[in-house]
Amino acid sequence: MAAYVKFWGTRGSIPTPASWTRVYGGNTSCVEVRFDDTIFICDAGSGIRELGKDLLARNPRPKCVHLMITHTHWDHIQGFPFFAPVYTKAMQINVYGQRAEENSPYRVLSGQMSSDYFPVSFKDLGASVVPDHLQEGRKRIDGVEVRSFPLNHPGGCFGYCLEKDGRKIVYATDNELEIQAEDLFPDLENSGPLRRVPEELIQVAQDADLLVTDAQYDEKGYLTKKTWGHSCCFSVTDLAIQARVKNLALFHHDPESTDLEIDEKVETCRLRAARHGADLRISAAREGVELKF
Amino acid sequence: MNEANATITANVRMLRRERGPRRHSLEQIEGAGLSAKIALEPEEVVMGRGSDTQIRLASKRASRHHAFFRVRGTDCVLLDNDSHNGVYLNEVKIHSAVLRDGDVIQVADSVFVYHED
Repeated sequence: MAAYVKFWGTRGSIPTPASWTRVYGGNTSCVEVRFDDTIFICDAGSGIRELGKDLLARNPRPKCVHLMITHTHWDHIQGFPFFAPVYTKAMQINVYGQRAEENSPYRVLSGQMSSDYFPVSFKDLGASVVPDHLQEGRKRIDGVEVRSFPLNHPGGCFGYCLEKDGRKIVYATDNELEIQAEDLFPDLENSGPLRRVPEELIQVAQDADLLVTDAQYDEKGYLTKKTWGHSCCFSVTDLAIQARVKNLALFHHDPESTDLEIDEKVETCRLRAARHGADLRISAAREGVELKF
Repeated sequence: MNEANATITANVRMLRRERGPRRHSLEQIEGAGLSAKIALEPEEVVMGRGSDTQIRLASKRASRHHAFFRVRGTDCVLLDNDSHNGVYLNEVKIHSAVLRDGDVIQVADSVFVYHED
């Protein structure tokens, strides 16, 4: 059994179609994680539109997908009304919240299709869109152990850990790893020691095959964006090193970041990992790329 | 719209049509059998050690049918055919990827640069 991870949207905040985003992509958050025939969709940013077309073209066509929404900020839900499978009969889309009584992602996904925002009503969708929830942050879905965990983001946010048969994928975007007073920041020379990161995150990401995580800023960028709910790439590299993650995908690229700037971020993070002697492979999440574990 | 503007618009449309579909190619920069430009045509090109491949790799580290290049619309997609030693895109092991101009692809002992015109 292998796990497949495909990036359909890697940008943060707002779709950014431009010549200078052509390599890493301009669509907002959407990542497909597949274990055998079980398909998880992490977030419904604008990247979910292309995923929807692809799902309907597959043979055999999937009948059910599991939609895990980290939080309901626009860039994580705006693609849902354009997700072709929602208009397709015989398709079931399970939308997960944290608690049965809260039902937040389902409520907001349907709310954004009120006539004030969108011409097609939620009740007219052809697919069966089913609200579901994790039980105390855990659920077993088709043999996949799904675990959610809280992240540090204004308004609240949850990451997801998906595990089956020894394959572990962690999706943790829109998370601010705050700089501790005793840590070196900004580390413009890339020479500082590993930063302190929350122990709970180290545990959840421990030995993951892949950690997809928010690295919106570099050191200079984060200087003016503290408390905005996103991390700088050195801090997430330090998290991945301490959690002994095998592969790190820098995610939720800043809408102002060019492809070349993202390349530079990857390069400096690789240097940091090498300096700390870490066996960690680092890349930037890129639209249209599929990884296999 | 006056007649001059209409002519300009028609000319632009004609030029776009004449430009035709994007052309995809590889340039080998490392490995045995260095060649000039390898056109990724027709719709599917197979790379590997096998004698029936369009891009033949003279390396024991290459699988018989190691990877596919498939043109989909205006894009070219690279797929690892579950090869033994994998396919690397810009130093990252991938299962598949939509290629972009300047991408560096490593298969077995050969390294290629992807170009789109």
